[in-house]
Amino acid sequence: MSTNDRASARALLADPAASFLQVQKSVAFLEKTEDGLKDVTLGLSSNVQVDRLALYLRRHALLAGVRLRVQIGLYDSVAQDVETFVQAGVDVLLVVPFFDNLMPAFEAQIAAGLDDAVIAAKGEELAERYRLALAAAQPIPTVLVGQFHRTWPSAQPRQPDRVSTVLQTFQEMLANVVAEATPAALFDMPGILTDVGLSAAIDRRFYAQAKAPYALPMLNEIGRRTAKATRAYGTYFYKVLALDCDNTLWGGVVGEDLVEGIKLSPFEYPGNVYWRAQQEFLGLERAGVILCLCTKNNPADVEEVLSRHPDMPIRSENLTIRKINWDDKSTNLRAIATELNVGLDSIVFLDDSSFELEGVQSQVPAVTVFQVPSALTEYPAVVGDIKALFLAGGVSAESSAKTQQYKQKAAAEALKAQFSSQEDYIASLELEVELLRNAEANVARISELTQKSNQFNLTTRRYTQAEILAAMASEDREVYSLTVKDKFGSAGLTGVGVVRYEDDVVEVEAFLMSCRVIGRGVEFSIWPYIARDAARRGCSRLRGRFVRSAKNNLVEDFFDRLGLAPEETSEGERTYVTPLATLEKQQSQWIKIHYAG
Amino acid sequence: MLDETKLKSVIAAILEIDENSVDQNTSMDNVESWDSIKHMDLILAIEEEFGVSVPDEEAADLTSYALIKLVVADLVKDKG
Repeated sequence: MSTNDRASARALLADPAASFLQVQKSVAFLEKTEDGLKDVTLGLSSNVQVDRLALYLRRHALLAGVRLRVQIGLYDSVAQDVETFVQAGVDVLLVVPFFDNLMPAFEAQIAAGLDDAVIAAKGEELAERYRLALAAAQPIPTVLVGQFHRTWPSAQPRQPDRVSTVLQTFQEMLANVVAEATPAALFDMPGILTDVGLSAAIDRRFYAQAKAPYALPMLNEIGRRTAKATRAYGTYFYKVLALDCDNTLWGGVVGEDLVEGIKLSPFEYPGNVYWRAQQEFLGLERAGVILCLCTKNNPADVEEVLSRHPDMPIRSENLTIRKINWDDKSTNLRAIATELNVGLDSIVFLDDSSFELEGVQSQVPAVTVFQVPSALTEYPAVVGDIKALFLAGGVSAESSAKTQQYKQKAAAEALKAQFSSQEDYIASLELEVELLRNAEANVARISELTQKSNQFNLTTRRYTQAEILAAMASEDREVYSLTVKDKFGSAGLTGVGVVRYEDDVVEVEAFLMSCRVIGRGVEFSIWPYIARDAARRGCSRLRGRFVRSAKNNLVEDFFDRLGLAPEETSEGERTYVTPLATLEKQQSQWIKIHYAG
Repeated sequence: MLDETKLKSVIAAILEIDENSVDQNTSMDNVESWDSIKHMDLILAIEEEFGVSVPDEEAADLTSYALIKLVVADLVKDKG
């Protein structure tokens, strides 16, 4: 089959108007012929018939370069499904509980006066069943549980009917069960239903005949949002939003229209569209996204808008890096990536100019680009897509504080210029490291860091929360985490080490740090403490391992620099070993370490 | 006029069988992949591809190529 066929199949996949048959053919064809697809498996469990959902899950996975194998569970057997899926080692579990089918015609029975006691008993039984199933689902890295929604419209516009009241109780119950079962997350089915519309979402015919309630538009949207909710099955993790200024943050060109002339009034069109977009960007910043400017303007003009325009929601303190110059945007984006120590593939760039966007796409294709639509009223929808890329996969509290920390780093960079030597400078930072062993309270952040860190990562092993918990609980493994603080503030939990004791050797299974704290010696400072723990366990040697990835050149010689002797070298992998005694003395003496041991 | 080649190709694609193997004798009884779930898929695909709506009372009976051809031909004709 030719590349042409593949291109047209890809186009059909992306076409919202493609028919069921076209989607089916394209998916089957591309799964067979596309190169370089990532293989992921998903287990699907429901109390209604959702087999057809598999096709739409696969469709949206393929659009992100993933060949998704969907394993469909038995009818209404979530506990048994989970057991099967865990054994099969699925990567994702999607549970779709269907409210109206919890009991036959449940909504109608509720309306008909079904006894409160029966409803309550059903709720309790369900809660217990889900609690057990989700507890057993711990080994599955990603677990999504669909929230209940109604299937039939209320006939009472004047007040909520009994179905709404019961539905709300069941939703709260399910939300509580899911909240207890970290790392499971609730999947927003009612939100999808609102978007698709109840009458388009439910196929009354197949629901009645075969308990298959979801119509194609609904299945498609579930497929699309499952991909979003899993960050396209783990294929991306965006961190930075780089923004153009003229006709992106405000209407008009500040160099020509002057500060007073740009359109940014919250009360008038078109200013209100830009003003709303800026509020949304601030919301992203609050959730941990790093905002930067990448714009061709006179710096003084933009700085004036930032400091002086009365309606400007975004101010300089919200922007971690401002590239305001006449250089190529691709050059500026590269510089942003370097300064923030992030990959180009974690940057999203928004501009109104096709010319600029094409330039960026050809020069730095790893950057994801969005265009402000020429039909300006469609701008909020584009902003919505951008938000989904950053937020749909979930936000941890630590991530939200991250932007603050990048700004601290930028302030520290400025201070650096004043010192004569690098050591003077680092000493002046008053660095402190808090080292913790098996800190269960930090499991979410530890797992997140192992998922996200690419450059300073010795083995690039990714751990789910469940895996971290298991390592912490294990007799022969320890999970170290470190929190770095300097006089500008705390950088939060920014380093993770996992070690395994085996006879007289302590083996470093993983060691990784967030790039925002490296270059200050922190990475070398903690080893005496790890060595002491290992000695207490009867070990006499430490073994380190460097596993090469596409991105971790930075740490290629880390163990050499730590003073370990090379042991074995093979394709893409090197091991090192050293007697524990050589690690006793703390390197990076300027760092104060707190460790309860 | 019913486009039989198209009908065969729709059936073949949904049931994931060879297009040339679809003939008068093809039925739910002799195609392994043709289960009740695939049957729904088939109805959906026929409706979309031929721009018709298969009435509920017919849907369950369309268990062979011969029957499908009869019903779809009627539906296409009624559409004009």
